[in-house]
Amino acid sequence: MSDATYNPVAQNPSKWRQALRKPGFVAGLMIIGFSILLAVFPGAFAPYDPNAIDYLAVRQPPSWAHPFGTDLLGRDSLSRVIWAYQVNMQMAVFATVFALLIGVVIGALVGYYRGIADLIFGRVVDAVITFPFLVLVIAVVAVLGPGLINMYIAITVVGWVYYARLMRAEVIAQMGNDYAAAGIVMGYSDRRIIFRHLLPNAITPVIVYWMTDMALAILLGSSLGYLGLGAQPPQAEWGVLIAEGRNFISTAWWLSLMPGIAIVLTGLGFSLLGDGLADLLRPRG
Amino acid sequence: MSSLTYILKRLLLMIPTFFLVMVIIFLLVRLLPGDPAIAMAGDRASDADIAAIRERLGLTEPMLVQFWLFLSNTLHGDLGRSILMRTDVIDVIADRLPITVFLTLYSVVLSLLIAGPLAFVAALNRGRWPDAVIRTVFQIGLSMPVFYIGLVLLTFLAAQLRLFPVGGYGDTFGERLYHLFLPSITVALYTSAIIMRNLRSAIIEVLDAEYVQFARAKGLPARLILGRHVLRNALISTVTLLGLSIGNLMSGTLVTETVFAVPGMGRLMLEAIFARDYPLIQGLTLTFAVLVSLVFLLTDLFQSRLDPRMRLQ
Amino acid sequence: MMKLRTVLGVTVAATLAMPVFAQERGGTLNFARYDGSRLIDPIYADRNPDIWMVGSLFDTLLRGSPDGNSVEPGLAESHSVSDDGKSVTLTLREGIKFADGSPVTGEDVVFSLDRARNPDLSPWAGLLGSISGVTADGNTITIALNDPDPTILSMLATFNTAIVSKAAFEAASGETDQDKSAAIFAAAAAGVGSGPFYLCGFEQGASMDFCANEHYWRMGSDGKPLPYLEGVHFEIVPDDATRILRLQAGEVDAAEFIPFSRVAELEADPNISMQLYPSTRIIYSPINTRETRADGSPNPLADARVRQALNYGTNKDALIGVVLHGAGQPMSSPLMAKATQYAADLSPLYTYDMDKAKTLISEAGVEPGTQVTLTTLAGSADDATIFAALQQMWAPLGIDLVVEQVDGATRGAKNRSGEFDIHTYGWVNDVNDPSQVVGWLGYTPTAKAVGTGWENAEFNTLFEEAANEMDPAAREAKFARMQELYAEAAPLLFMYETPFAVALGNAVEGYVQTPLGNNIFDEATISR
Repeated sequence: MSDATYNPVAQNPSKWRQALRKPGFVAGLMIIGFSILLAVFPGAFAPYDPNAIDYLAVRQPPSWAHPFGTDLLGRDSLSRVIWAYQVNMQMAVFATVFALLIGVVIGALVGYYRGIADLIFGRVVDAVITFPFLVLVIAVVAVLGPGLINMYIAITVVGWVYYARLMRAEVIAQMGNDYAAAGIVMGYSDRRIIFRHLLPNAITPVIVYWMTDMALAILLGSSLGYLGLGAQPPQAEWGVLIAEGRNFISTAWWLSLMPGIAIVLTGLGFSLLGDGLADLLRPRG
Repeated sequence: MSSLTYILKRLLLMIPTFFLVMVIIFLLVRLLPGDPAIAMAGDRASDADIAAIRERLGLTEPMLVQFWLFLSNTLHGDLGRSILMRTDVIDVIADRLPITVFLTLYSVVLSLLIAGPLAFVAALNRGRWPDAVIRTVFQIGLSMPVFYIGLVLLTFLAAQLRLFPVGGYGDTFGERLYHLFLPSITVALYTSAIIMRNLRSAIIEVLDAEYVQFARAKGLPARLILGRHVLRNALISTVTLLGLSIGNLMSGTLVTETVFAVPGMGRLMLEAIFARDYPLIQGLTLTFAVLVSLVFLLTDLFQSRLDPRMRLQ
Repeated sequence: MMKLRTVLGVTVAATLAMPVFAQERGGTLNFARYDGSRLIDPIYADRNPDIWMVGSLFDTLLRGSPDGNSVEPGLAESHSVSDDGKSVTLTLREGIKFADGSPVTGEDVVFSLDRARNPDLSPWAGLLGSISGVTADGNTITIALNDPDPTILSMLATFNTAIVSKAAFEAASGETDQDKSAAIFAAAAAGVGSGPFYLCGFEQGASMDFCANEHYWRMGSDGKPLPYLEGVHFEIVPDDATRILRLQAGEVDAAEFIPFSRVAELEADPNISMQLYPSTRIIYSPINTRETRADGSPNPLADARVRQALNYGTNKDALIGVVLHGAGQPMSSPLMAKATQYAADLSPLYTYDMDKAKTLISEAGVEPGTQVTLTTLAGSADDATIFAALQQMWAPLGIDLVVEQVDGATRGAKNRSGEFDIHTYGWVNDVNDPSQVVGWLGYTPTAKAVGTGWENAEFNTLFEEAANEMDPAAREAKFARMQELYAEAAPLLFMYETPFAVALGNAVEGYVQTPLGNNIFDEATISR
């Protein structure tokens, strides 16, 4: 690897052109782009008020008026699936971004300084990863009370460890490179070496993992919603929507199928994006 | 460093880890709103009944005393008595553990059977349509919520087509394989997607490596190259990945066991949390932690055996 | 459409009258339950899955009549209450045996009743507070009372006074009575009870087996002892959808607690007979009536007019439509289900009237946009639906309803501490007498009127008087007045009564779930 003090991508616009020729990456970009659009402007796309109850039109099968049918209270399923984008995309971001920030900083510091901090860090990481993840999240949510914000806190409390571990390993690997040693010799401050030189180079795997993690966050969030510990009604959320439809898989299949497709599609989008980014950001000698 | 001293060192390092796990779980269960005495006596019990039960369960002791008791009893191999089941926690866990271990191993085996061959096909056809199809299908598997797949499989394969039983877990080994097929495949759909991804890139990496290119150039048959280099590398990375995800695999059984009515540790954990069964939650968490740590250790040892470049450190 | 039988008598009478021809005997019934038993012992049973199974393993001295309003002979072939109401004399049936063949004696009865009324052992001891002593002389049992107790005969037909074998307890290992009970249960051997079945297999949290007691005293229509079945195999399947799938796949013969949203679909299934057994179950929501909320802020719900307004503003029929899919009826007595003795018919109880609701709420001076929290059970589809419907129904009243989802243990703790505005709840009678439910819902000393903090001196006095009132008419009058007071004060959101929904395979006949919830397999049969 040559001098990589800067982000290799910025220096290499041809890589972007190359990546944009990969159908997977493009599909990922489009799916996530459209998902963001739906999440930001659900009202512009949803044909009805997602919470408008109609006792006279419950569990209607899909029709022209209601392409995804109606739910147990006669609410329009398509509108609910669309409004759920707002909640689920939020989940993808907020459940991961704080874990990412905390994990990156701690991981970088521990990787740079090693010593006693590293030893303590090792024990904490072991304790958290030997703990059943879902149990920890459920317990934290139960302590704080159900709801999205508490769910984000719960996932962050556990999730930062994974980022920190990745970051630490990468920083240690980068320390072996010439430029890090050069920085030390030139008398740069620790802060400058860590955040200006090591971090930008070590961040690639973290970003790639982040994409997968966002897909996981949606899955986890909807699992919690399914258990009643995530989004609160009447807010539409895919896991809650599937839970509402679970009793009707054979009679009113559209209730659970449509939010199921939304989860799969978004997850697919993030995964494709992650794969594409991995190719794009992978430093080549 | 010899592997014996390495193992000893690793075991020593587990002591602070377990201590930390015990502190976390001890505090966490006591922070949970709700009270095991209320959960035990029911909503209709009088305040005096509740107070009496609290006394009997030792919940009126100061926190530090409770923690000390928990610690010293655990060291003596006594995990306490389950409030929910009214029997010793260790007996309850001994009952449920084999079922969850069976389910986990079964799903790992199924994942390998699914992911292994397909990863080779995808890697050898890199960039062509079989690769694209395989990767897309697995991506979808990766993005599906377990509880939903479970229900769909149950509804169609079990209840309508009657290919598999809906519930139960059988008595003999053969019966278990049959009864636990659907729950295991549900978990395996997810696991195999991760394994496939990892395996595919591991194979590609080896195929791209200079020594393999060289071997190819020398005209060594492809089968030999695959057998000698690719398999070994693929095995190492797969074992590492499985080892690292064993914790998630086991906690994933929480939802699967509930949907499929399999009486394992995951479902027990959920029940224990809802009943605020402190001793049972503590015992289960510790068991999970011990199992996961052991798997980590085994993974490391296995890795060092297979890969001479990985020295024990 | 629904096979809802409003009178329990029809079901029982049908089962009793049916077997003119020879009954099919034998076979094991496979039963999928929503939750498992943990310890089936008359005095330690404190959760419904335990309580509802006591009757299959143990027998009581008296049995509830089919209509629930009187008692019939059980282990005791006759009974009489003294004129002053201060003692009850019973005569034990000749030749009755525990499931291991040992005889049931007066000593066992004394042992069992002493155990049942010991407050150090039984959480139910309070129900037997009037008993001062129990003695046996041969087959004659005498129960002495401190005060006349109108509920005593009902109590002798209730699960917690069921008879256990003294010898079995003496032989069991363990220090305390509870340890012994747990040891007996874990050993799953015959000999502790004299019910139609004995426990012959148990896997904690997974499954349970009952085997027929060949020494059982009640006779079937074919002149041979009940039960007809060889045994019952229970499996715990907590997930509603999975429980139904197992029945549809033919893996089990019965599945209980069918969600009401599935009832119509299962009724249409030719292989399944969908049963809706009348029950004493009521679904209601306690409203916090304290002047201030737990956080110290003023509580708008402290004003009875606001609580009345919420009741008028709730369209129960719509609620029954979306939650129960029609399989239920609005509460007609504010304090108990219709099937309970002395239930007053005050229907329509707070019939849906938005104008009245709006008038009341403006009289009470409630600001539009007032926030009220509904605490619901996390993961309960019914509760989520109730919330969505109530939020919409109360919006015109200026009430901004928000939800707080918690699990059962947290809800229980909140009910106790008063940290709630309104929360969902339900009740099924354990005793064939109104005193238990009325004490729970309205009598302040029992449980602060189901946690609402409601206190009414007249109500409390009436309740205490009724406890010693031996004249049925006078007792009924007191209960009638209590129901009036309670309806007026509205410490609850009065919702609806629901039946017990059980789906049976076509091979099953004669299974009954009583209004108290007890699962009765005595006369069940299965044709294979």
